[in-house]
Amino acid sequence: MHLEKHLDLEALKAIQAHIDAKQASHLVSSSIDCRELNLVCRKQFIVPLLTFLRDDKQCQFKQLIDISGADYPERKDRFDVVYHLLSLSNNQRIRVRVQVGEGVKIPTAVDVFPCANWYEREVYDMFGVAFEGHPDLRRILSDYDFDGFPLRKDFPLEGKVEMFYDEAEKRCVYRPVNLAQEFRHFDQVSEWDGVGHNAHLAEEDKPFSMNDFTAEVKK
Amino acid sequence: MGIINPNTLTADNRAEIQALGQDGIQQELNNNGFLLTSADSLINWARCGSLWPMTFGLACCAVEMMHAGASRYDLDRFGVVFRPSPRQSDVMIIAGTLTNKMAPALRKLYDQMPEPRFVISMGSCSNGGGYYHYSYSVVRGSDRIVPVDIYVPGCPPTAEALVYGILQLQKKIKGQRTFAR
Amino acid sequence: MATTVREISLNENMTLNFGPQHPAAHGVLRLILEMDGEVITRADPHIGLLHRGSEKLIENKTYVQALPYFDRFDYVSMMCHEHVFCLATEKLLAIEVPKRAQYIRVMFSELTRLMNHLLWLGCHAFDVGAMSVLLYAFRDRETLMDFYEEVSGARMHANYFRPGGVAKDLPEGLTDKIAKFCDEFEKHLQEYDNLLSNNRIWKQRTVDIGVVTGDQALAWGFTGAMLRGSGIAWDLRKSQPYECYDELDFDVPVGKNGDCYDRYLVRMEEMGQSIKLIRQCLAKMPAGPVKAQNFKVSPPARDEMKSSMEALIHHFKYFTEGFHVPAGEVYVAIEAPKGETGVYLVSQGGPKPYRCKLRAPGFAHLQGLDFMSRGHMLADVTTIIGTQDIVFGEIDR
Repeated sequence: MHLEKHLDLEALKAIQAHIDAKQASHLVSSSIDCRELNLVCRKQFIVPLLTFLRDDKQCQFKQLIDISGADYPERKDRFDVVYHLLSLSNNQRIRVRVQVGEGVKIPTAVDVFPCANWYEREVYDMFGVAFEGHPDLRRILSDYDFDGFPLRKDFPLEGKVEMFYDEAEKRCVYRPVNLAQEFRHFDQVSEWDGVGHNAHLAEEDKPFSMNDFTAEVKK
Repeated sequence: MGIINPNTLTADNRAEIQALGQDGIQQELNNNGFLLTSADSLINWARCGSLWPMTFGLACCAVEMMHAGASRYDLDRFGVVFRPSPRQSDVMIIAGTLTNKMAPALRKLYDQMPEPRFVISMGSCSNGGGYYHYSYSVVRGSDRIVPVDIYVPGCPPTAEALVYGILQLQKKIKGQRTFAR
Repeated sequence: MATTVREISLNENMTLNFGPQHPAAHGVLRLILEMDGEVITRADPHIGLLHRGSEKLIENKTYVQALPYFDRFDYVSMMCHEHVFCLATEKLLAIEVPKRAQYIRVMFSELTRLMNHLLWLGCHAFDVGAMSVLLYAFRDRETLMDFYEEVSGARMHANYFRPGGVAKDLPEGLTDKIAKFCDEFEKHLQEYDNLLSNNRIWKQRTVDIGVVTGDQALAWGFTGAMLRGSGIAWDLRKSQPYECYDELDFDVPVGKNGDCYDRYLVRMEEMGQSIKLIRQCLAKMPAGPVKAQNFKVSPPARDEMKSSMEALIHHFKYFTEGFHVPAGEVYVAIEAPKGETGVYLVSQGGPKPYRCKLRAPGFAHLQGLDFMSRGHMLADVTTIIGTQDIVFGEIDR
């Protein structure tokens, strides 16, 4: 592949085995998917795990690259807080994931990696996941008095309010969103498909889907 | 008539130019020592000859605005020098996406500009929300916050397009009337 | 209404609002500075004034429709951000990119690195006080924008790199123009060097300003020139090569003291190394297809689309529904001009990304503004913001 030509899968598996041995009580699971090492950590043990990953002789994951969030609303613990770490000396990357539900707080990683400060603020701003012990947990990207957590799946794309300048009050005010044209979601379900979605049709009469186009180009 | 090359002027060409009146101004000054014009024309000439914009680059369009002011598409030859302070500028070029968080600051800057003031909305984000029209945090067009005179389309508009927009603003100013009703 | 008179003690710090509109704020930065006279005791950057909600918009668009958002994240190094998104999508799709496309991508990535460093140099020097460098740097940037326009049609937001390769092949004559540009640019680089590197005033304004030790740089998540300026030899093009960087020969400059002057020298040398890389790409570029010859990922050729029914349907489906990417999550990072830029991409099998997060190098760098500017004076804040190479499109997204 034209990517990740440095990747030593054996070394990655060795690190996975080492972490599994040393941190078994803190982890829920560990796996290698798409040639990347993923750990799922229990929420209350995230700080000891990160400290171990940073300081252990075999791991040496000295840099916290990113903390991001993701929302899976159909799950019970809907939020994923994902930490990406980089080890310069071993030239390896690792992903640590913590799964939390709504209203649950995660211990902050600021004491382990100072750069976690703004990343955690961003996760709080976008998803509403609070971090316990964070020195300054306030909104960072959205507006000062913003109501709601934008990147949650149930938050509408257009938002709830939009800004106008009010001539009478001589200041900028928020009014409810009123779009001239709604965002068009194309979902490829045709009105002509009918109730059974063409289950009654023969194979050759069914409409095309992008998955059909997988063949190599004919030379 | 076609294009006249100033390096190879003939007697006929000179006569044509005189007929256009360009030598006429010089002649008038030579003959009388003064020339007559309307106060409106004079004021409009002064206003568009030295439009001073405020540096208000928000996003990507700011880079094209910098290119418009830099070496190739020099804006200084139009009398346009960028001023950092709103109190010393005539025109505000809103270059980039205007977000809800930034809008009060924009309005405050507009209010701080002295009259006569003009606004050029540069780029599709500033014209009507653009690529981010459906976003929760973007003002769908800066004309919701300040009154806009010229809209320059593009994403981003090339530096040349911005220069064209400024020339259009100059044309608009020339058509304004301050004294005559 | 009675007015209250409050006594201000001599020990109280002054709070200065380095407002959202400021010629040296590099976009929209609201910096609250607490100062003891002229010396800064605390700096609190307020960002989010350019937060456009790109990540949520990307979740509602197909992969090819979402690609132009990446141009607009870091709007001075456009193609590098397209590059990282394409790499992430290709990793999930597990497809291979043809050799010619890899060389074109590397060549344009290095041209983009030049564009970025030229704007950085011009603006940083302008903020510190050297105005003419800006005009010289933009002269070269115009030529580079001409190359962008020739290959993609747009001067800035090219939308040229696509998952699977690049959109179109190079037009005739472009390689000659790029070779000619490389020769001229080396002389120009010498000019910039003569103007600044041994200039007394430049040195006084940048040496020992914003010093960052190696350990601090690692702890605060610095990457790119910020890390290399502090003595840590780490460049993703060498340590985790992607595309054809492992076949090309180049050096990576590393600084010593971690101050603004060292980072300036590191970036200047990087420009010279980029020219070396571009020349190698021009020499080694093979012939061949420029997009993965995989029906799933590439649209059909236009003449075929106009004559064959199946190609027409494929074209329609490709641009409306988009290709389905297998479920999974990846994090891919490249050495963008500003540092390590990464994309965390989560797919649930559909034609649209489920979650796409951009890891911007400027986010970590701006976070470090607080500790970097303590004890310095107000004029040094603009120098430090300049040396961190801040662009708000990628920080606020």
